[in-house]
This record gives sequence, C-alpha cells and structure tokens, in this order.
Amino acid sequence: MDVWQQLIFLLEGVPLTLSISIVSFFIGIVVGLPLAFIRVYEKEVGFVVDAYEKIFRGVPEIVLLLLFYFGVGPYFPSTFGNAFFVAIFVLGLRSGADQSQIYRGAIRGVGDEQMIAGMSIGLSKWRAIWHIMIPQVFNFSTAALGSEYALLIKDSAYVFIIGGLAELMKRATELKYTAGDVVTPFVLAALLYILLTFPIAFWLDRWGNRRKKKIGL
Amino acid sequence: MTDFVMEAKNVYKTYGSKNAKKAEKADTDTCAGVKHIVEAVKDVSLQIRKGDIKLIFGPSGSGKSTFLRCMAMLDIPDKGEIYLGDECLTEPGVDLNKARARIGFVFQHIYLFRHLTALGNVELALRQVLKLPKDEARKRALDALTEVKVTDCINKYPSQMSGGQAQRVGIARALARNPDIILLDEPTSALDPELIGEVIDTLRDLAKEGKTMLIVSHEMPFARDVAEEMIFYDEGTIVETGPPSLFFNAPNTDRAKKFMTRIIKRTTRE
Amino acid sequence: MFEFLLNPTFQTWIAQGFLLTVEITLFGVLFGLGLGTLLAIGDIYGKKPVKAAIAVYVEFFRGSALFAQLFLAVYTIPAILNVQIDHAILAFLVFGLNSAGYQKGYMKGAIETIFGDQMQAGLSVGMSKIQTLRHVILPQAYRIVIPSWTNEFCSLTKSTATLAFIGFMDLVGAGRSILVYNLEIIPVWIVIGAIYFVWITGFSKLMDIIYEKKKIPGVELLMQ
Repeated sequence: MDVWQQLIFLLEGVPLTLSISIVSFFIGIVVGLPLAFIRVYEKEVGFVVDAYEKIFRGVPEIVLLLLFYFGVGPYFPSTFGNAFFVAIFVLGLRSGADQSQIYRGAIRGVGDEQMIAGMSIGLSKWRAIWHIMIPQVFNFSTAALGSEYALLIKDSAYVFIIGGLAELMKRATELKYTAGDVVTPFVLAALLYILLTFPIAFWLDRWGNRRKKKIGL
Repeated sequence: MTDFVMEAKNVYKTYGSKNAKKAEKADTDTCAGVKHIVEAVKDVSLQIRKGDIKLIFGPSGSGKSTFLRCMAMLDIPDKGEIYLGDECLTEPGVDLNKARARIGFVFQHIYLFRHLTALGNVELALRQVLKLPKDEARKRALDALTEVKVTDCINKYPSQMSGGQAQRVGIARALARNPDIILLDEPTSALDPELIGEVIDTLRDLAKEGKTMLIVSHEMPFARDVAEEMIFYDEGTIVETGPPSLFFNAPNTDRAKKFMTRIIKRTTRE
Repeated sequence: MFEFLLNPTFQTWIAQGFLLTVEITLFGVLFGLGLGTLLAIGDIYGKKPVKAAIAVYVEFFRGSALFAQLFLAVYTIPAILNVQIDHAILAFLVFGLNSAGYQKGYMKGAIETIFGDQMQAGLSVGMSKIQTLRHVILPQAYRIVIPSWTNEFCSLTKSTATLAFIGFMDLVGAGRSILVYNLEIIPVWIVIGAIYFVWITGFSKLMDIIYEKKKIPGVELLMQ
C-alpha cells in the first residue's frame, strides 16, 4: 500500500473520530453547565458535584472504558455492549467533569454583580442564570473550551482499545499489519490529529478574544 | 576626570510608536492606551555633583519618570548620552549591570521581591552582585534597614508590611550597595497619605547625611525644605531650574508660575 | 467478588504495575517541568527561529494523540534509525517530552504573571537578566505554578494507562493479566480504578497542602 492509499484509509476514520468527540463535547455541556451552576448557587448539593469531578479526575479513561465495555457490556449488550455508546458515555462524562470546572471559573469571573443586577430587574434566580449568566459564561470560557475540545479529539484515540470502532487510531494500528508499515501510518496519524486539533482551538481562541473585546472584558 | 557623579547630555526618548504598531497588529488589549506617540524626553541635559539634592517636578505625563529611568538605564535613550562618572553608559558594549550596581533606584510602586523578607530583599544584591560573603552581606543589610528605621519588619514579607514600611525597605535595598547616587521615582505617590510622612523623614535623614539624590516628586513641603535645586519639567523638557525659594516665591516662566499656583492652591486647601 | 486480591501472584502484579505507573509518572512530570521551564524561557527570550522551533515542538506534542506519539516512538523511530532501542527508554522519553509541551505553557504563564515589575526591580539593584530570572522570577514562578503542575500530574498519570497497550506491565497491564485467569471482570477494574484514584487524589491533596504552605500571599496565576 502506498502513502496515498494509507492516507485515504486513515481519512475514512476521521468522521468517526469527529463524531465521538463532538457528541462527547455536547454531553459535556449538558452535564457540566448545570453542575457548575448548582455548585455555585446551591451549596448543599455541592459535595455531589465535587465527588463526581474527583472521580473523573482520579480514574483513567482507559480503565473506565475497559470497565464499562468488557465488564458491564455483557449485561447490557445494546448500550454498554456498543463501543460507540461506551466511548461517548465515558468521554462525555469526563468532559462534563472538566467543563463543570471551566464554567465554575467563568461564573466567578463574570461576577456576582451580574446575577444581582438580573434579580434586581425582577428575574428569578434561574431565569437570571439563563438570560444573563449563561451567555457571558460561554463568552468567558471559549479558550478553555477550545482546549477541552482538542483534548476530546485526542482522547478519542483511547477508544481503539475496545476494538469495534474504526476511528483514526484503530486504522493506524491496523495498517501496521495490513501494510507492514510502521512508519507511514503513525506519522500520518499524528499529523492528522494535529490537523484536527490545531484550527479549532486556534479559532475558538480568536473568536473568544474578539467577543471579549466587544463587550470590553 | 569629571566633576559630575552623573550627567545626561541631550537625551531623547520617545515611546509609544513601536508599541502602537505592535498593539494594532496583535489585537490585544495589553498595549491599550499606548497607541499614540509620546515624546517623553526631548533634548534634556542635566549635571549632578556629589552631594547634590535635586528634585524634578511637573505635570503628570510630562516624562519625568521616563527621564529618570533613562538615567538609570532602565529605559534606553533613543539619542544622547548618559554618564556615570567618566563612564558613558550609552556606548554599546558597556556592562550595564555593573553600572546599575552603582546606582540606587527607588520605584513609585516599590517593586519589592515578593518571595523574600525585608532582609532577603536587601541582602540579595549584596550577595549576588557585590558577591559579599554571607555574614558581611547580612550585617550591611541590617545596617541599611536600621538606617531607614524598619527593624521591626526584618523578617516580614512584603505582603505583611504597610506601604510606608515597604517603600522604606525599597530605599534600604537601594542604599545597601553604597551607590554613587540614589534616583527616586515618585517615592510617595503610591502611598496612603498617612504613610507618606515616614518616607519623607527617611529622605530627610539621607539628605542630612550628604547622599547624592535625584528625586522625581510633587511633595512640595519636602521640596521646599530639603531640595537644593528644583527642576520644573514639562512636555519632555526642562523648563526652568532654580532653588526652591525661586519657585515658591516668583518663578520666571509662565508655565512654572501656573503650575506653582495650582499646586499651592491644592496644598493650602488640604 | 474480590477474592482475586488474596492471590499472591496477582498481588505482585498489581504492586509491580503500580510501581511502574508511579515511576513513569514522576519521571514524566519532573522531566516535563525542567524542560518546560527551558522552553518557556526560550520562548520569552529567544530569537524568531528558536521561538518557531519551540512552537512546532509544543504543537506537535499537544496537538497529536498520546497513543500516536507512543507508537511513533516505539515502532517508527527504531525502524527508521534501524536500531533496537529499549522500549522503556522510549516510553519514558515520550511522556517526558509530552509533559514538557504542556508545562511550557504553564511555566510561561507563571513567569509572565510575575515578570514585569520584578525584572525591573532585579535590574535596578544591578543583577543581570539571568540572575534576576534565577533568584527572583523562577522562585516565584515555581510556587504559583503548583496548581497547574498538579493538574498536569493528574492528566499524565491517567494517560500512563496507555502503556499497557504497547506491552508494558503497568497497573492496567496487571489488570489485563489477571483477567486472563479471573472470570469476574467488573471487580478487577474497580480495584484497579480505585488504586489509581487513591494515588492521584492523595498526591493532589498533598500538593494542595504544599501549595497552601508555600504560596506567596497575594500572588496567583492570572490564567484561564
């Protein structure tokens, strides 16, 4: 197999890599954003969020993937027996823990005065959060979210250890055998990951800076 | 062999132009506010003899601080020469570090080394620049701190001191190397009013001891009592010089007159 | 469920696996800290070609997946150079170089937070730029970078689990070996996961305590 055939083979795995990371990212938003606000504004339940964050900070994604796919999978074949499901489950929840921290920092950065101002015009706490805090929190977090997303693209590579998903990394390892090549596949794979992570993080960062300047942050 | 401890000859310093271009390109807000060109020092010359106590005063933004920093080569002049004794500091190839070791500089915002105690702050240069052995460095540091009367802060960290104490430690740090001259950049401007007095007293003591000092300040009472010569600096140049009595009674130039009236009005109102 | 823990062979595997994990993690974060500092200083003071080289280095190690870097090191490099290199050395190096890529950013942020006035103050007492860096700026930078460094430690430890898939007997490797003999899958991974958890959380807590003690009052990393 020559370089171009290998490249095409690898490129065919990119959509799967992207879908894993994009879906996980959105799960991260859905989980992380509410948790961040709960942690800041409903102190009693805070320790639950802390425990959740601590677990995902302290246990490797690889161990979780192995646990859920091989351990839980046999009992629930249609969900945990599906490699894609396990992938977005583990990476999505991990991202939720990371994003919860990011948004918490952003909430503090935006400042309490904004909440107070919102409530002073008659909005309830949760409506103030929705209309005033959340837009500003996203604005504030673009840089950190950019690197979180890049992280998800790279971590999607972990998924190859549970087989079943022909994303980028799995295909690279396959080429080692089918093409007998240990140089090209891995070099190409590394470059492809860089191509995937570099622009997004870069643009999100620029976009965030520009929007921050508009608001005068 | 020159008479002068320090001399500035036809010094020019402009800032803002380079930064303005950089700021527009980088699209950051770290350079915000420096988008116009400021001619801070326009053909300024000054001589200082041993034991002189000269005070530069004038409106804010006139470039006084920039000029002072040029004297210490903390900012490099665009044109002109700075002499420390016989050595021309603006020549290429000069060891600026050695030169700066002979100059004591006190900053408006103090700039103490945050991770060191007062003693550590004063000792650091004695050990690293003058390469003194431990005990000698310690002794000299303690002497300097005693001279500025902050012995109760010796083992305190900058964040544990008041502004007045910190600035006096800053003065001790500048003094400890026994420099040829001490340059002070608005030493009291960043302090709370009630803390200014202790720093002024320290400066008075230094003046009595015959130290050579060039101070940028608008503390008028201090100027009147202690300065030997006052230099009115406005819009990048020296407008008028003379003893304090000249400025407090009848300045020659209109600009100086206007400035003095405003200042005196302000101080009498207090 | 957890009877497998009583088996001495399994215990040895777990202990050895844990040891390897700890070794490579500590090597990685410390090597990364040292090299990261050099890269940060190079980025601040270096001329354009140096800055460009550092940017490429950082982008490579931060932009590509760790697995890809490991495979490159363990399979590709020896093949290209046509030599046999001990896989352990290569793996250790990859983690060290990878960590340096991230830590360069943290150190640069820390240095820049402190830089401005402290460099001025250092110069004003006659110290050279290098002396000021060494005696004034870096001591402060190392203290305020501790939280980021601890974060990097956590990430690195978790990523060492990849070693099991290039033939090393780390903690995950121990788990996989045990599972050849043990029928129950879930308990094994729970135990392995718990060991990682205790190690990572314990070490982080220790670093938090150290940070509280050593931090310079009033100075914190101004970084998002």
